[in-house]
Amino acid sequence: MLTLILAALLAAQAPPQKFDPHDLSGHWNRTSRFQTFSNVFSGQGNAQGTAEAPLTAAGKAKFEANRPGYGPRAVPPAIGNDPMGTCDPLGIPRLLNTEVITPHQTMEIVQIPGRMLQFFEWHHDWREVFIDRQLPAADTVEPTWNGTSVGKLEGDVFVVDSIGFDDRTWLDKFGHPHSENMKLQERYRRVDADTLELTMTLTDPEIYSRPWVSDTKLFRLDRAKSSRWDEQIYCVPTEEYKFNQRVRDEAGGRGNTK
Amino acid sequence: MAYRSFALVLLLLLSLPVLAHHGSNISYQLDKTITLEGVATEWDYRNPHPQIYFDVKDSKGAVEHWATELLPTPLMLRNMNVGWSRTTIKPGDRIVLVCNPARVVGAKACLAKELTLNGKSWPLGAGPGGPAPAGRGARQ
Repeated sequence: MLTLILAALLAAQAPPQKFDPHDLSGHWNRTSRFQTFSNVFSGQGNAQGTAEAPLTAAGKAKFEANRPGYGPRAVPPAIGNDPMGTCDPLGIPRLLNTEVITPHQTMEIVQIPGRMLQFFEWHHDWREVFIDRQLPAADTVEPTWNGTSVGKLEGDVFVVDSIGFDDRTWLDKFGHPHSENMKLQERYRRVDADTLELTMTLTDPEIYSRPWVSDTKLFRLDRAKSSRWDEQIYCVPTEEYKFNQRVRDEAGGRGNTK
Repeated sequence: MAYRSFALVLLLLLSLPVLAHHGSNISYQLDKTITLEGVATEWDYRNPHPQIYFDVKDSKGAVEHWATELLPTPLMLRNMNVGWSRTTIKPGDRIVLVCNPARVVGAKACLAKELTLNGKSWPLGAGPGGPAPAGRGARQ
């Protein structure tokens, strides 16, 4: 605690660090509150949102078919159907929510010629964004877990547009759905040397009656993390299956511990 | 201004809820605890949550097979720097466990809150891990 206080005092007196606003590389830890796509009502004490998902009738039906283990509609995971519970890929945009608490709420951005790569600690997954390419025609794209993404700079904002999402993924741990026709735009802005801002807008008329904008997600640069071994927080199906069978399902009234 | 921001961040950190990574919390009665005494049969120091399997004798001497999950992941436990490892618990170790019972009546699974192992208390933490362990976690 004393170390934290001293660090804060030193930081308060230090001059602002120089940074290149076009350089997004580094390990980034989410510091903003919400672990969901947007600031919807969570039922959790420190992350009460007020936004409402603008669901269409079809979207509402799909939402109600999703049974999450979190939020105001939470059910015991033993009777839920969160894709996480079977180690299915979380997909984009859910990976971008970095939906857990420290030390797992982190992603690394790597910029290489022609591509930006993002590595997510939670579920140990990654995605690629092709830079300065055109998106292919939607009807030529096979749906994938993370979609097909291209990015370009607009001033100091790095804009990523994506299509072609597999609709088995959820937007977030509260079970918000999407269709295969969802279009997603991510806007990244390096606010200062230590802060990255991300705002997402999804357009999916089948599921949402208007474009839905995420909360502004903030990430803080973790310079020390690159000196540590990665955590390798995989979701391992055999481990998950054992946990589900012997603990989750027992607690949820569906199994036994033998 | 910077001091005020720091205070706000500190308050936010202190108010972080204990969240199960897999939404397990909803399966348990978080406002109740039970105390179980038994003998460990298996320790699974793995994701998604470390698990202890143990046997408890009821008042008539019949053995019940129990399971408990710990909220912190293995990494979080290791970051506590108190010795959590794959070999912390061995079959035959005596455990006293305070835990939140399942919502389902009769379920033999609970959420670990306090653990005493062979007479020694083992911290379970509130969820967030501390700094990375020196040496083991540091890139050489």
